Amino acid sequence: MAEAGNYGARYPYFYGPEGRLVLVDSALEAVRRGSTTIGIKTPAFAMLASHIKPVRPLIDPAEKIFTIDGHVGATGSGYIGDILQLIEELRLEAQKHRLSFESPIDVGSLAKHLGSFLHNYTIYAVRPQAASVIVAGFDQTGLQLYQVDPSGTFMRGSGFAIGQSSDIALDVVQQEFSADMSIEQAVALSNKAIEKALGERPVVEIGVVSAQDRQFQKLR
Amino acid sequence: MTTIVGIKTNEGVVLGSDKRASKGFFIGSKITQKITKIDDTLAVAIAGQLSDAEYLIKVSKAERRLIELRRGFPLTVKESARLIANLAYSGMKNYQPYFVELLVAGVDQEGGHIYAADMSGAITSEDFASSGSGSPIAYGVLESTYHKEITNEEAKQIATKAVSAAMERDPGSGNGIDLLAIPNLIMEVAR
Repeated sequence: MAEAGNYGARYPYFYGPEGRLVLVDSALEAVRRGSTTIGIKTPAFAMLASHIKPVRPLIDPAEKIFTIDGHVGATGSGYIGDILQLIEELRLEAQKHRLSFESPIDVGSLAKHLGSFLHNYTIYAVRPQAASVIVAGFDQTGLQLYQVDPSGTFMRGSGFAIGQSSDIALDVVQQEFSADMSIEQAVALSNKAIEKALGERPVVEIGVVSAQDRQFQKLR
Repeated sequence: MTTIVGIKTNEGVVLGSDKRASKGFFIGSKITQKITKIDDTLAVAIAGQLSDAEYLIKVSKAERRLIELRRGFPLTVKESARLIANLAYSGMKNYQPYFVELLVAGVDQEGGHIYAADMSGAITSEDFASSGSGSPIAYGVLESTYHKEITNEEAKQIATKAVSAAMERDPGSGNGIDLLAIPNLIMEVAR
């Protein structure tokens, strides 16, 4: 047992003594320090909300909600450089699908692709991407919301929270989620969840895709 | 050499073909299968080099299955046609074209579709289409008898008529007719 412990300590890209990948754990820890970000899905729409950290008055805040294709949007939490690279990977995959099949890609395939892209960083002596991503979109199978983590894990669901104090934010979302709420109510709920998590009034960027117009749009 | 026809109906799609494979001025086979099912919702009718067509179909069949397993729902007819056309296009650009003209016919959530795909990699969506040496004759029948509210049973008769007419006057076509009808499916995708 002591042998295994030393091994993990010397080679951080191997399993640690508890059977965990130290680098992946560190990446998740980095995500936990990122800006609080929320995804909510109802039968009528899917919404992304990302807290923008207060910046100095002369610096414009970074963009946090990204259009992937007309029908898909994504946001992330973690190192912004890593998020941007993952967004680029999603956009590339969406356009590759259009080139190969002349049709918009489904959100599940995008999440799966990002999952295997991230998984690649967990099997070599490289730095895993310190970013979790939430993807929302409308495809042939309806509205979809996915979360993808640095380990390559991806989950489909109706409510996600990542980033700083995301467990507190997710609690708020879980408690007050209702399937028949409006977009405005969902925006208010995500604001409330982020406020509860951070203990301050947040500046938030919002993106929505509705089952009606089937297009991803940034609200603000 | 060959006559194949495809007709889009309000109940799905119908494909028809003759059964002759020519070897120059010799009839190489009298029982050739020119209509190949990719799966229960998609089929391809072949005109041209049989070996090339078989290869394209084998690859697209595997690709289609893989994609359905990966994403959890099948390719549309258009996506399938584009898949085959992309293979054909890369063949043409590498100076090793697949000498084929295919009719990709099938049904999906939007109903029946006929796509004509050729060796250049172009695909066109059609209400009805014909290919092969007998196609000018088959088109004569199709143009004069096709209408929008056609049923599968009616389309089968028109396809038979069109291929028969071609077989009468085109030496590259003959030896009987194959027909395939694919009915529309009412399928609910899990949401």
